[in-house]
Amino acid sequence: MSDQKITIEFNDKVVRQFLLASVIWGAVGMVVGTLIAAQLNYWQVNFNLPWLTFGRLRPLHTNAVIFAFVGNMMFAGIYYSTQRLVKARLASDFLSQLHFWGWQLIIVAAAITLPLGFSRGKEYAELIWPIDIAVTLIWVVFAVNFFWTLAKRREPSLYVAIWFYIATIITVAMLYIVNHLSIPTSLLHSYPVFGGVQDALVQWWYGHNAVAFFLTTPILGVMYYFLPKAAERPVYSYRLSVIHFWSLVFVYIWAGPHHLLNSALPGWLQNLGMTFSLMLWAPSWGGMLNGLLTLRGAWDKLRTDPVLKFFAAAVTFYGMCTFEGPLLSIKSVNALGHYTDWIIGHVHGGTLGWNGFMAAGMIYWLLPRLWSRPLHSVSLANLHFWLGTVGILLYVGAMWTSGITQGVMLNATTENGTLLAYPNFLDTLNTIRPMMLMRVIGGSLYLVGWFLLIYNLWKTIATAQPVNGTIEVFADEGVIAHEDKITLLGTFLNPPVAFSIFGVGFSCAWMFGGDILSIAGMFGLLLCVVLAYAHFESRGKKWATWYDRLLVNSAPFTILVVIAVAVGGLVQIIPTVLVNRAANLEDRRQLPYTPLELAGRDIFVSEGCYNCHSQMIRTLVPDVLRYGDYSRLGESIYDHPFQWGSKRTGPDLARVGSKYPNIWHLRHMEDPRAISVGSNMPNYPWLFTSPTDVAALPGKIVVQRQLGVPYPAWTDAQITADVNQQARAIVEDLKTAGGMIAPDKQIVALIAYLQKLGKYETVAPPSRAAR
Amino acid sequence: MTPIPPPEDETLRHHSFDGIQEFDKRLPNWWLMTLYGAILFWVGYWAYFQWFHVGLDGPQAVTREMTKIEAARLAAAPTTDNASLWKMSRNPVIVEAGRTTFNTLCASCHTEKLTGAIGPNLVDHLWIHGGTPTEIYATLEKGVLAKGMPAWVPVIGAKKSAEAVAYILSFHQEGEPIEVQAAWIPQAPK
Repeated sequence: MSDQKITIEFNDKVVRQFLLASVIWGAVGMVVGTLIAAQLNYWQVNFNLPWLTFGRLRPLHTNAVIFAFVGNMMFAGIYYSTQRLVKARLASDFLSQLHFWGWQLIIVAAAITLPLGFSRGKEYAELIWPIDIAVTLIWVVFAVNFFWTLAKRREPSLYVAIWFYIATIITVAMLYIVNHLSIPTSLLHSYPVFGGVQDALVQWWYGHNAVAFFLTTPILGVMYYFLPKAAERPVYSYRLSVIHFWSLVFVYIWAGPHHLLNSALPGWLQNLGMTFSLMLWAPSWGGMLNGLLTLRGAWDKLRTDPVLKFFAAAVTFYGMCTFEGPLLSIKSVNALGHYTDWIIGHVHGGTLGWNGFMAAGMIYWLLPRLWSRPLHSVSLANLHFWLGTVGILLYVGAMWTSGITQGVMLNATTENGTLLAYPNFLDTLNTIRPMMLMRVIGGSLYLVGWFLLIYNLWKTIATAQPVNGTIEVFADEGVIAHEDKITLLGTFLNPPVAFSIFGVGFSCAWMFGGDILSIAGMFGLLLCVVLAYAHFESRGKKWATWYDRLLVNSAPFTILVVIAVAVGGLVQIIPTVLVNRAANLEDRRQLPYTPLELAGRDIFVSEGCYNCHSQMIRTLVPDVLRYGDYSRLGESIYDHPFQWGSKRTGPDLARVGSKYPNIWHLRHMEDPRAISVGSNMPNYPWLFTSPTDVAALPGKIVVQRQLGVPYPAWTDAQITADVNQQARAIVEDLKTAGGMIAPDKQIVALIAYLQKLGKYETVAPPSRAAR
Repeated sequence: MTPIPPPEDETLRHHSFDGIQEFDKRLPNWWLMTLYGAILFWVGYWAYFQWFHVGLDGPQAVTREMTKIEAARLAAAPTTDNASLWKMSRNPVIVEAGRTTFNTLCASCHTEKLTGAIGPNLVDHLWIHGGTPTEIYATLEKGVLAKGMPAWVPVIGAKKSAEAVAYILSFHQEGEPIEVQAAWIPQAPK
């Protein structure tokens, strides 16, 4: 090693940019969140304006806090810590700037298109296809910049934070691309390639793991860097890091179907979702333990240091949420909690507590280090902490109470279980109104705390000079010794990986094989566990040595991560996508929508109705008593996108077709409270004045045909004639009932769609469906 | 099952990253038990539902439950032909039960005196949807959704519905004239 030392200046400019963007977008996302929380109690604050209604703003809120607030915070944390952990400046200043400005442009595009009603109709995946492509490209820019920096590293071994960053970059790319596969019908509209149950499965594989790999793994990486830094204590346990990292990234992917429990999703997928969610508890708590126990010996600092307060509370909230998650994944608990505010409380414990507090702690720690000035006011930061904590507790407590109360009321029966105790959905809604108000108060406190951060930040940096970190290194530092390099073969031919691959292989044979293969798989699995145990007990040092070597080989490490995160998705999605559609039918097949109904469905999606209304009657007695026969797979087989929903602020709509006359829907959409006293649904006056986009229908139907929906080869004129005929029939019927509306208005198409919901034809039951 | 014995527990790993050091503590036993317990649960649960098919899947379970509920409903349902409903309307216990149901659910539109307000008068001889006992029961069964009359039978059950019809009939006599009324003009409740 030469004695010559060189000084590296880190690229902290891009860190400052991402940090400020996170703070600003965080405020925007939280303001929108507070507004939509208020809308649930006071329908008047929808202002009768299309771009301010709940259905359009809720996607804006979720996208803003996930991708803009946490996204920018994550990039700031990853870029700051990675440069220091690998002793190298970010590989490319150009890519760093492209990453930053590209990401902000995407956010602005989202903030414009979502309120205008341009939506793909899938949660956290609403952005229209041109923006999706931009997200993918910018993510690739991020990945190239990151891995290029790793390639130039002067620290051969990869620290645990870097493992989590690698898993994040790989997995988010995989999830995002698959769930956004679409065929465009115009510049602003597309249909997802998957439909019905396939779309549901892919969506929640994505949705669940967006939580895992966008809101959890990168933040765990941030925790592993900033928490020991701030506490000035060693990380509690390296081997816990190893075990919990690999078990977390492997198990997480399998748990997606827990969002679809008791639904029409095939039973084997539900059982996988539930059991893997329970297996996820310990790996998640591994991260919490390593965070909290690292604070051993530093607890006294918590009294004075707001940074550590935020970190300790964040990790505690992480532990709470990752206990609650598996709990809610138990089918019987899920029967109570799903579709209610309990889920809203669960995710906000995660986002406000874990993500928001990790962000605040990181920001307060970084400010004096990125700008040459101590934090303006430590006591303001402490006040922020207490306001935020009280805000979260009020919010989460209110949502638990609300969710459990409404769940119990909706499921309650009377007359020996033959009748619903609260047949009117609105009785249950109006019971939880005080709790929904409490949420607004809790959320507002949290928001005030965030404004304190902004003020504190401004006072700190307004007159301060930005500073960039530097490090002195030897010119030839960090060269990886030849004998430490791992070949592609060596990546797999070693005890830990080989035992893991056999273990997973035998498990799959046991779970999915026929009678004989199942038994063979079970014996193979047992043998594999015994041999692995014996080998580990006798030659455990070899396992550790190999892992130390793996850590200096970033490419083999990344390959193993790719495999670990790919397995769960492959096992669940490929059979569901490949099986003959007939096997996914059960005994009913959905009747395809007429052109007018399709136009109405696009309006339903565009207005974000799915944010409050499900279209999935679960295989549960209270659901069947309230909404009718349980939903079959075949009844949504042509739905691109599926609209099963995830929350019932209003009742389920799967069988609403023909339940009410047309005039009911007309009056209800004009003023929900005229029909349903006490409803909190917004008015939709613009549907009575805006025309239906009939001109776009031929192009849309072409795409639907490509996706396998059995439309005949209509000419444009036939489509228009069909639309006119059906619209006139509805308008005539409305007129006899006293409702006057022109046939070209959106409300007519929407009524046509709503009246079609639940219409099916009976088909011969399929032979025993292949799994 | 740890390869390195506990005495090294409090020692730091030799390497540090940007000043961050790492202990290599043993994994807590309770944590390991949680992990192993969840894995064993997966094996047992999968075997119960997917391997030996002992447990019912969702559709099977809900179909079984709903069949039981149907049976209970059929057993509890009163006969709703004209003769039975007239007979019920002369039974004070049934009429009193019907009065409670009526005043809770129906009186807000039809008033407690049954003389009508938002909904039509039920004590005169004019009927929009038919005035025989079975016709009145049918109106409760299907509702008049366009006019705001809900379908009550699926909500409150056949027994309470029949009691409410009996209560209405208690204001009438068998064989009295039934005249057709075209529509009811809603009035504000008094």
